[in-house]
Amino acid sequence: MDEFDNTMIGRGRDAIDMIVDPDTFQENAIGTYQCEPDYGPCASVGTAQLKGRPVTIIANDAQQFNERFPVVFGGVIGMEEAYKMAMAVYHSIEADKDKPIAEKRPILLIVDTPGNGPGKMEEIAGMNKATGSYQLALAEARKTGHPVIACVIGRAISGAFLCHGLQADHILALSKEYGTMIHVMPLTSISRITKMDIEKLEALSTSNPVFAAGAEFFYKLGGVEEIINKVEDMRDVIARHVDDVYATKAKGEFEKLGPWGRGLLGEERGGRVVRLKAMAKMDEEFEAVADQYLNA
Amino acid sequence: MVAWVVQSTGEIQKLVIKEEISVALQTLNFEFQAETPETMTKEWSHLGVTGSGDLEVLMEKKNLGGKVQAKVVTPVKGFDEVWRRMLGKFVNDCQVGDVSIEINDDNATPIVVYMRLRQAWAESSEKEAE
Amino acid sequence: MQKWDELEKSSFLDANARQRAIGMTDKGSFTELLGPRDRFTSPHLPVLGTAVEFDDGMVTGVGRIGKHPVFVISMEGKFIGGAIGEVNGGKMVGTIRLAEKAAARIQKEHPDEYAARRPLVVISFETGGVRLHEANAGLLAHAEVMDAFQDCRHKLPIICVVGSKVGCFGGMGFVAAATDVIIMNEQGRIGLTGPEVIEQEMGKEEFDASNKALVYRTTGAKQKYIMGDCNYLVEDTIGSFYQAIADVADKPMAEIEKLRRIGSVKLVEEQMGLVKLVGDMQPKDAMDLWKYYGNEKPEELPELSTAEFLKVVKCRVRN
Repeated sequence: MDEFDNTMIGRGRDAIDMIVDPDTFQENAIGTYQCEPDYGPCASVGTAQLKGRPVTIIANDAQQFNERFPVVFGGVIGMEEAYKMAMAVYHSIEADKDKPIAEKRPILLIVDTPGNGPGKMEEIAGMNKATGSYQLALAEARKTGHPVIACVIGRAISGAFLCHGLQADHILALSKEYGTMIHVMPLTSISRITKMDIEKLEALSTSNPVFAAGAEFFYKLGGVEEIINKVEDMRDVIARHVDDVYATKAKGEFEKLGPWGRGLLGEERGGRVVRLKAMAKMDEEFEAVADQYLNA
Repeated sequence: MVAWVVQSTGEIQKLVIKEEISVALQTLNFEFQAETPETMTKEWSHLGVTGSGDLEVLMEKKNLGGKVQAKVVTPVKGFDEVWRRMLGKFVNDCQVGDVSIEINDDNATPIVVYMRLRQAWAESSEKEAE
Repeated sequence: MQKWDELEKSSFLDANARQRAIGMTDKGSFTELLGPRDRFTSPHLPVLGTAVEFDDGMVTGVGRIGKHPVFVISMEGKFIGGAIGEVNGGKMVGTIRLAEKAAARIQKEHPDEYAARRPLVVISFETGGVRLHEANAGLLAHAEVMDAFQDCRHKLPIICVVGSKVGCFGGMGFVAAATDVIIMNEQGRIGLTGPEVIEQEMGKEEFDASNKALVYRTTGAKQKYIMGDCNYLVEDTIGSFYQAIADVADKPMAEIEKLRRIGSVKLVEEQMGLVKLVGDMQPKDAMDLWKYYGNEKPEELPELSTAEFLKVVKCRVRN
């Protein structure tokens, strides 16, 4: 029997069904916008209802292959996929542009991706622009008032996690019993590249969350808000975080959310304690000379 | 961790390697006294990059009764005596005093160490660039 | 340290992070913030036996160009390849946030003079992205930078400068793409996936990472310029970069917005058009696109000097 026989890896579409209200997912439709059905096949976007409320869904589909871009399959985010995801976000903003924050639709990212398109055509056309544009779109949606929730159901690896996940207001992850993977690089590769001894790295990784692979280490660093221990709870936990984020935004406390909020959480949980001190010192040093720059 | 080093002045001094730095990066502390020491003109100066085979030097003017204090942080083990010699040679050649030297090293050779110290010293005594 | 006038004439490619920071702002105007004397070294490197640096491989500070405060972030490729960890990532985010706060203060204190006093952020990238020794913290820092960028949108320009040995790769490749303006010298390179990884994914016959000319054609400044992914291609002197930055400093925000590649529906639609072209064409080499855009002899372009190249090159026409 597989070690993770209940894993959600490769099951982005199943996850959509498990999370949203039954039979409500309308693929490719966001407001009045319709995405071309065969565009960016390794990403699935659309609108569904979550406890009676419309939500934008953006998920990886690890079962598809992008015929035009041969390195894009198995959940990889290629250029078409990243732009498709960005468009889903921009059209969510557009659809609710006249609504108050309390009615701006949540955007739910279902994350199971091993990377961005690592090919030659991707570099020629600029994969960096594609992943960058999706992140800027998410940051804009978050700052406009949409609750953006990411739920890691499988793999959230390095740049692909930055692209699809790390711009969310809150990030949730299934626990390691489901085979969830969050990392930049496995220890074996870190060992090879940094020429550090693998045994030493393994020993250190148990106590040092800063380079070890796993959702629990990201939790310690403030990189994940909550770990979901039972897959059946996904729907309820996500809905609860949507409510939390709405409430926080209603109070105008945007800085408690998103990447900056997770930085505060990283300090609170003791995983990243130096960066805020460094920034405070910078502020202090700038203040001492500010006049000659602001009033030159 | 505690070690013992022979100072350039002939004294034997207890060397404390800070525990929080862990066993992996070493911190070495030295003290030197030149015969006719002169201190630097600037309050502090910095030179170099901790690149592979290289190091950075931070020098600060400090009232040390004419002595020089040096602290070296390095991943390389077992070269305490080489560090003592190169730093000692620099202090004697340039007659340095009342200066605190801090070095972050990444496998620099003794020649590079000596050269960077001389460059840092030249810079620390330069007039401010206009 | 060399005198400012000498710095301006010297090679950008050969300059260290501090020289670049000083040379990209007005003479005598640069103040380093969180400099080496503050000793904010990485708390994560010593455990792994890796050497530390007092500025954690990044020079941050503030200078001026005319009345514009210039918030500078300058990465040092010689220290662990310029890679991003907790502290230097924090310095990067902190500098951008300082610029944004400065913009708000200037708006308030000098409302009639905002255009002349508008701050700018200049980032001299020299990095392969995340620092593996503290990979998770480095990754999270990238997200914070993108977040801080978005806060600066339409308020003040963020300028990306790439012209150092390491280039700009990994996660910092998309951070560079998300800036308002990109300035490069001929030696600059920007990408997401490094050449070795592409070779590993596609095979050596498709992409030979040891072929320097191929790597340069794929990610180098001339390719970026043709594609519209580099706004200013300049000679390799610090002074040339300074001039280009000064040019942007005085432009109205609306005009700067037109230099962007991504960050709005309209821009995404334009990029989708480019992706469609590439998907239809299935180029084997960047030169296929150079030819498509009207360069009859694409194989000659890499050999040309910057000045010659700028005279003859035909670029993708932006909508």
